[in-house]
Amino acid sequence: MANKENYLKKLFVSRSFSILVVLIALIIIFTVFSPEGRFLDPDNLKVLLAYGSEFSIIALGVGILMVSGEFDMSVGSILVFCSYLFLVFYQLHFNFFLVLILTIIGGIALGYLNGIITVKGQIPSFVTTLGTMMLWRGLTLWFSGGEQQACDVSSSPAFLSFLNGNIGGFFPIQAMWFIVIGILLGIILQKYRFGNWIYATGDNADAARAMGIRTDIVKTICFMIVGALCAFVAGMQISRVSCFTARTGEGWELKAVAACVVGGTSLRGGIGDMAGIFLGAFAISVIENGLVVLRIPYFWTYTVFGLVIVFSVLSSMYIEKQKWTQK
Amino acid sequence: MTMETSQNDDMVKMIDIHKWFGRVYAVRGVDFNLKRGETLGLLGDNGAGKSTLIKILSGYHVADKGEIFFDGKKVTIRSPRDARKLGIETVYQEQALAPNLSISRNIFMGREPVKGLGLLDKKLMDEESMQALRDMGLRLRSPDLPVVTLSGGERQGVAIARAIHFKAKCVILDEPTVALSVKEVNEVLEFIRQIKREGISSIFISHNLYHVYEIAERFVVMARGRKMTDVKKEDVTLDDLSELVIKSALVE
Repeated sequence: MANKENYLKKLFVSRSFSILVVLIALIIIFTVFSPEGRFLDPDNLKVLLAYGSEFSIIALGVGILMVSGEFDMSVGSILVFCSYLFLVFYQLHFNFFLVLILTIIGGIALGYLNGIITVKGQIPSFVTTLGTMMLWRGLTLWFSGGEQQACDVSSSPAFLSFLNGNIGGFFPIQAMWFIVIGILLGIILQKYRFGNWIYATGDNADAARAMGIRTDIVKTICFMIVGALCAFVAGMQISRVSCFTARTGEGWELKAVAACVVGGTSLRGGIGDMAGIFLGAFAISVIENGLVVLRIPYFWTYTVFGLVIVFSVLSSMYIEKQKWTQK
Repeated sequence: MTMETSQNDDMVKMIDIHKWFGRVYAVRGVDFNLKRGETLGLLGDNGAGKSTLIKILSGYHVADKGEIFFDGKKVTIRSPRDARKLGIETVYQEQALAPNLSISRNIFMGREPVKGLGLLDKKLMDEESMQALRDMGLRLRSPDLPVVTLSGGERQGVAIARAIHFKAKCVILDEPTVALSVKEVNEVLEFIRQIKREGISSIFISHNLYHVYEIAERFVVMARGRKMTDVKKEDVTLDDLSELVIKSALVE
């Protein structure tokens, strides 16, 4: 009995619980206020889960990177650059799965570059990735001429259903990928040695180094995870919209940081868990979608993002405080 | 191949160590030794070179010149990882623990035990952590508590328990009693005695002569990158020692 109570108490004071409350509140608000119950309409849910998951998957990677104590401002640009890579390989008439694999290798390489510049040059990753953010976006605009280009993968039903299909005729496969990747990264972060190294690196890199952890390698691998996820999402997005767009991913870098902060991840590193990051990423997608459904002008989105971020950070700090004073 | 060896009763022997940082000549040809099972006090003012010397031993810095023998063998220490492999553990003020990680995750940091599929063996980590702490007389409620919730003395206890648990041969304690209350200082001094009882050699670096005098068997005083004094406890009083430290700092 006592154990059960403890467990409940632990749940109530956990960070992911506070974001779960925020998420449920948002869903209730959008359900109640959307005209004709449009928010819960299956068509809207499909859009939310398919489109929203693209951003959310990238936010998962950014979360893991933030736990290791680094930022990636270049996710949107890695995404667009990888979209362009996808287009190039597509135009070479490779098998689509091979195109995706090559794109992911490209994404990993871009992540590696972010990591190696940051750790070898001892430059704050905020600055490194601000640079690569402009670099990859600029190069993509240059190479592509900034124009939309057709990139239709529907000739391969297998590939299409792999990245833009559904399960049981309804559930978008993108959301399944979001869940699967969330669980995988969660297991790595919380149940594996490497996860402990990520936490230790973000929390106190000196201590981690003194204990023999190669923090440079840990950080670089986290950057590479982000790169791989951006590339994967690039393939996913192209499968959905059947074209390459040079503007994709703009503004995602800060939205991803916001998702992680809402999910209880510390900007200083070392704090955060996958459940919180997952819920935070989902909450950001829900807000974006909900505001559209409510027919609220798009520029309100950022106002609401701002309020949600401030509120959830305040509430998680309050919960944190309660947690340690109770003991 | 013949292995160069030093005298057998030395755990650490550093010969003619030199270190420059740019134009700063931080360590100027120091010979240093630590006997097996010995607790040595390393004293000196700020900038005396004691931290640099010790960071050369723990792999943070690499000496520009000099030789290190550890446990009778000549060794090359290029990183904290190398040092740790040899059995040199460091208990640094701010560098030993990750504050937001749990006690057991801190104790096993970098040496996490795994079970099937490479998963962390959390149960083993928790049990062994609590046992290691109990062995030192430290009773903490749960291995899941983040280190940040512990008192300063308890934190040093966790770091020292880790060193003992992993059978360190030489423990470096860099200012372990700084910023602690009197009660916590006594706790930490007790932990250091525990290191001694385990037969582990240790180097205790501190500004506080009282703390060092209470516990060390021999004292090395450094000033401006040189070793000024090397004296056994039975040959000095606390007052002598205090005077030695002050004088060494003044001598040109």
